[in-house]
Amino acid sequence: MVREKGNPQHRWPASADELIDDNTILIQRTLRSGQSVHYDGNIVVIGDVNPGAEVVATGNIIVMGTVRGVVHAGAGGNEKAMVLAFRLEPTQLRIAGHITRPPDEQSQKPEQPEVARIKNGVVTIEIFNGERQG
Amino acid sequence: MGEVIVVTSGKGGVGKTTTTANLGAGLATHGHRVVLVDADIGLRNLDVVLGLENRIVYDITDVTGGHCRLRQALIKDKRFEGLFLLPAAQTKDKTAVSPDQMKALCRELKEEFDYVIIDCPAGIEQGFRNAIAGADKAIVVTTPEVAAVRDADRIIGLLEAAELRDPRLIINRIRPRMVRHGDMMSIEDIIDILAIDLLGVVPEDEMVVISTNRGEPVVQDERSRSGQAYRNIVRRIKGEQVPMMNLDEGGFVSRFLRRMIGLS
Repeated sequence: MVREKGNPQHRWPASADELIDDNTILIQRTLRSGQSVHYDGNIVVIGDVNPGAEVVATGNIIVMGTVRGVVHAGAGGNEKAMVLAFRLEPTQLRIAGHITRPPDEQSQKPEQPEVARIKNGVVTIEIFNGERQG
Repeated sequence: MGEVIVVTSGKGGVGKTTTTANLGAGLATHGHRVVLVDADIGLRNLDVVLGLENRIVYDITDVTGGHCRLRQALIKDKRFEGLFLLPAAQTKDKTAVSPDQMKALCRELKEEFDYVIIDCPAGIEQGFRNAIAGADKAIVVTTPEVAAVRDADRIIGLLEAAELRDPRLIINRIRPRMVRHGDMMSIEDIIDILAIDLLGVVPEDEMVVISTNRGEPVVQDERSRSGQAYRNIVRRIKGEQVPMMNLDEGGFVSRFLRRMIGLS
């Protein structure tokens, strides 16, 4: 999954609120199937997000590991939220009201950290190169 | 004081009962006193796999309900010295036993046995809660299928939540040829997701079907590859360092796996 089209479906009312940077939770374990974390703020996972697990944040999501489950950043409607992971292979990736999934055909596995965010109304995944995002 | 090991998987049909029977028989051949507890109340199988069905008089619910003494319900295996079975009830359901009763039962059993191995039912409901209640350690069995691995992952999460740390993994029914052709999940793929210590890999083997139907654990079959795999797992449970079996001539055991060996 390198680049994918966004789904224009909106599930949350859009809000223009800026992210509050000091509201962040740290999860120091792998999230396994059936486990979920919901947080009003940013979520940092040190570990993997396995298939069947779910991470939902109103802010950004950073995973220091592999994302194979479902991640939802900007769950309150923040379109500036992003998902950053060492390896981004999610079952489904959502940002604000945009719901995306990897293409059905077998795609190449990522080999470096990537970041997903909304660009021109479409969820876009790019190689993370450490620059200031936004 | 012995240790209580629960054999669990989440998904049904991956080989929990077969694994339980073979580990029990294997440990007994090493001279240990072993009791196998069938926690799958209502769907008992372990007695059939061991060929002991016709000797059952009392079962686990009779013990926890106080209808008989523990010793009366234990069935001595006909082949393996030191191996005993505490059968499940067939006419009751999972609610017939409570987690507290299981804890008390396990405490009593490990006074007398070196190993108490619990065959957990499929699922994550009360039968599972009962089976893990008194356990000190856990073995998770999976097959190289996406659904089985997903359920194993769920189970590992639940075991961690229940303070059963560091479960160990048995990958059952692997077919090296299919893995080589990319048609089956490899050991690496599975370990990559589950990220727990690998206790052993059991290849797909027709002998398991034959031996299970005959009620004779395959672990005693010197010629079968699955029997060898189970014998290796038994030695690892005893704390020995045993290299992973070469499942195929084609260099199937990778460097990654060799690294896994060090983790006992």
